[in-house]
Amino acid sequence: MSIEKRPVTRFELLMDAGTGAQKAGDILLGAFVHMGQYVYVEPMIPAEISPPVRSRPALSGVIIRLADFDVTNIGNDTDLILAAHEIVLDRRLDDNEFNVNAKILLDMGDQEANPDSYEMVLKRCTKLGLSVIPFTVDAESQEIVKQLGGKGQNLHYLGMLSYIYNLDEEIVQAEIVKTFGKKLKEEIMAKNVKLYHNGYQLAKEKVFFRYEVQTHKREGDQILIDGNTSLSMGIIDAGIKLYSGYPITPASSIMHNLAKNFPSYGGVVHQAEDEIAAIGTAVGSYYAGMPAITATSGPGLSLKQEFIGFATAAEIPLILIDVQRSGPSTGMPTKTEQSDLLSALMGSHGDYTKIIIGVANVIDCFYAPHLARYLTEKLRVPVFILSDFQTANSYKVVKKFQLAQMNGNVDEIPDFILDRFHMKRLTGPIEMVKTVQTTPGTEGGMRRLTGLNTDDKGKISYFSDDHQHSHAVRNEKIHHVRRALTAPEMFGKDGNEVLIVGWGSSRGAIEEAVTLCEKNGVPASGMHLRIVYPLPLMLKELFAKYKNVLTVEVAYGDKLKPSPLALLLRSETLKDVQPLIADATGRPLRPRIIMKKIQEVLK
Amino acid sequence: MSTDTLSKPAPTPITIKELNTENPRWCAGCGDFGIIMGLKRFIVERQLMPAQTVNVSGIGCSGRAPNYFNTYGIHSIHGRPIPIALGVALARPDLNLFVHAGDGDTLSIGGNHLIHGINKNFKAVFLMYDNEVYALTKNQTSPTTRRDHPTNTQPQGSFLNPLNPITVALGLGASFVASTADWIPDHLTNTIKTAFEHPGFAFVHISQRCPHFDPSNFDHKTSTWFSFLKHPNGIEPDRRLADKTEVLEHDPSNLAQAFQYGAAERRYFGLFFQNKEKPRYDQILHNLVDKAVKKDRSKILDSFLV
Repeated sequence: MSIEKRPVTRFELLMDAGTGAQKAGDILLGAFVHMGQYVYVEPMIPAEISPPVRSRPALSGVIIRLADFDVTNIGNDTDLILAAHEIVLDRRLDDNEFNVNAKILLDMGDQEANPDSYEMVLKRCTKLGLSVIPFTVDAESQEIVKQLGGKGQNLHYLGMLSYIYNLDEEIVQAEIVKTFGKKLKEEIMAKNVKLYHNGYQLAKEKVFFRYEVQTHKREGDQILIDGNTSLSMGIIDAGIKLYSGYPITPASSIMHNLAKNFPSYGGVVHQAEDEIAAIGTAVGSYYAGMPAITATSGPGLSLKQEFIGFATAAEIPLILIDVQRSGPSTGMPTKTEQSDLLSALMGSHGDYTKIIIGVANVIDCFYAPHLARYLTEKLRVPVFILSDFQTANSYKVVKKFQLAQMNGNVDEIPDFILDRFHMKRLTGPIEMVKTVQTTPGTEGGMRRLTGLNTDDKGKISYFSDDHQHSHAVRNEKIHHVRRALTAPEMFGKDGNEVLIVGWGSSRGAIEEAVTLCEKNGVPASGMHLRIVYPLPLMLKELFAKYKNVLTVEVAYGDKLKPSPLALLLRSETLKDVQPLIADATGRPLRPRIIMKKIQEVLK
Repeated sequence: MSTDTLSKPAPTPITIKELNTENPRWCAGCGDFGIIMGLKRFIVERQLMPAQTVNVSGIGCSGRAPNYFNTYGIHSIHGRPIPIALGVALARPDLNLFVHAGDGDTLSIGGNHLIHGINKNFKAVFLMYDNEVYALTKNQTSPTTRRDHPTNTQPQGSFLNPLNPITVALGLGASFVASTADWIPDHLTNTIKTAFEHPGFAFVHISQRCPHFDPSNFDHKTSTWFSFLKHPNGIEPDRRLADKTEVLEHDPSNLAQAFQYGAAERRYFGLFFQNKEKPRYDQILHNLVDKAVKKDRSKILDSFLV
């Protein structure tokens, strides 16, 4: 028996949807955190609720990256897979995200009924050079699972993984009780705990390797949070008082969370009849002086576009979250992508002005609503917060966020939030198209808003000078932000052969890829943009220090068509920015692949 | 958050003149003049404070209405005044809220919002300006254009039977359904008054003339083709026409009878139906906030501690 000590490792548990893989992942995560290890968790969720079991679409799993340092992304590839049956394994092998030396624990329980299918998948594993460790759930556990109506298999697997990752059985048991404690009867709980210990015992007898990751003592209060939950708590801390939305994956959990919590903090949650109504009510609320927000995903963003232009013209504050998923159209609702950038940038008709914030992680998610509120109330232009499926659903342990508890006056936004997004406080007078900007209820300030062009008194005007003036004033608002932007976050050395650039959730992979490149003597640095539009004025100068500027994006591009960020950067800087990675596979970026591709470019 | 209260009278009396902004850019003889005058008369009669009053509209000739009131107003996008009005109602329940929508806004592009505005029953007066044609876009068939009437999009004559706004509203479960016309000013003002006092979403259908595109649609000089519905709990027949026009007693709590009048070939002006007990979505949401266990914002992350 050997215990292999590793600084970082990744494993995954693959099961049928609805059989508890996510729950098992939550419990493991709790235990790792308790032991002082760093984890990053990515759930793999099918778009359907309960696809037929033992089918490829039923794959539901959890990927856990475990490290003795703070991990910012889901990493490169998997060292160990535990699969409930051969079909979910076969499906996952398609993604080609396993280490060449990966070990596979395959439950053989279904083999008797499906010998051919098992044989085929086992052959596939042999061909790929993967070592398979077959196992069968012990008779007693099978009986308990039967008594539980087919449930509890996840606890058995949890036991096996606990043994392999050298977790303290008591700590895990405490996490199980914490997770299920209130819901389960004592007798059922005892059966689940038994399944857990049986799994642990089974691995002890059958599995001849273990991994160990060094533990650390963490300073200060730590919280465990995912992107969408962080956004919803950020909304409360930012002093927003109305959430208006329509159910859509993967944005819905923001609304779920607020529905539970918002009223206790004086906030209203409105589930609208459709995406257009959702943004309309947010516009109406902000118009009447109550800070509001709406959230959606790709298809909803398309539907909301007319209102985005209206808010621009009428100069009504508007904050819109888009949790991106794979498109076009319905695309892949539970897969990540970054291809709504251009839709946010150019989706509404006419020259509408906007600011786009991209969130990189759960910390950005918490503070983006504050910044969005500051910008939209100062400038009266729409502000987008662009997240994605990966950021929304992945969770990790972070130091408890410092609260801002914003109220009425957005100038109270703390400096550290502006710093985080690489911008200075807006200064000087900011001109509006309409010189009077009163809110309903203000005595003597009566005025009418319209989507038509107006003069500076707010009166409808089709005069050419007035129209040109309106455009200039609206765009000057964005220029205020442009000038307030400081240099974006950089990784690695200043000036290099290669600069890789990304936005939003690619930050973790960029940071790690640059570290990896440095270790391997690959001359590459990195840049990450938090505010994606407008872009800082010094960007051109920064790019000049690098021979190749390459983007990494989870969005499609090819030789003839630049990916969204590459297109934007090319147009803004005239630098020959090319996509290094423009993969719309629905899977997150992988640091090692980034390095490999840089090496190919440099050849 | 406070529940809605009717606004206090203005300190100096509000007059029609103070409510005017500019000369409306409507065609001569347009029924919209009569409608906004009817609402202005009501605002003066009730002395609603202009600063506390919000007109929300969609797009089209009727969409321009808020621009002609010296109150707060928002001339929004086609078909969407209801969601905006709901936002205003949720943010500021103390404001007086009037929604102005054309037949296209109401029953075509904004049809979904009508369904849910009626179902949500939030406090607002909804004025449907029904000229039975798309006018600002230059004479196209609307959802209420009478069958066989030629337009630029259906020059052979409108293909379908029009939607009936009254039975649509009744069928959707509206808590208040009334009908009036732009050329009977007293009735119009009284209808708005009754609608304003209604605790919920008050659907007011207004037959509106479009002399430019469809001059023969409403014969506003005679009154043999319509009847007034009258009741102590309803709306008084127009003073000038009451003795020349058929007046029928109709109890606005009688839904079955309301459907019959609504579906008839003949037009009826008055209060078809009213139910003051229908739950209000705006109140439900406000109560949820009022009754929620208050929590300290400085502890919002405590439940995530590990």
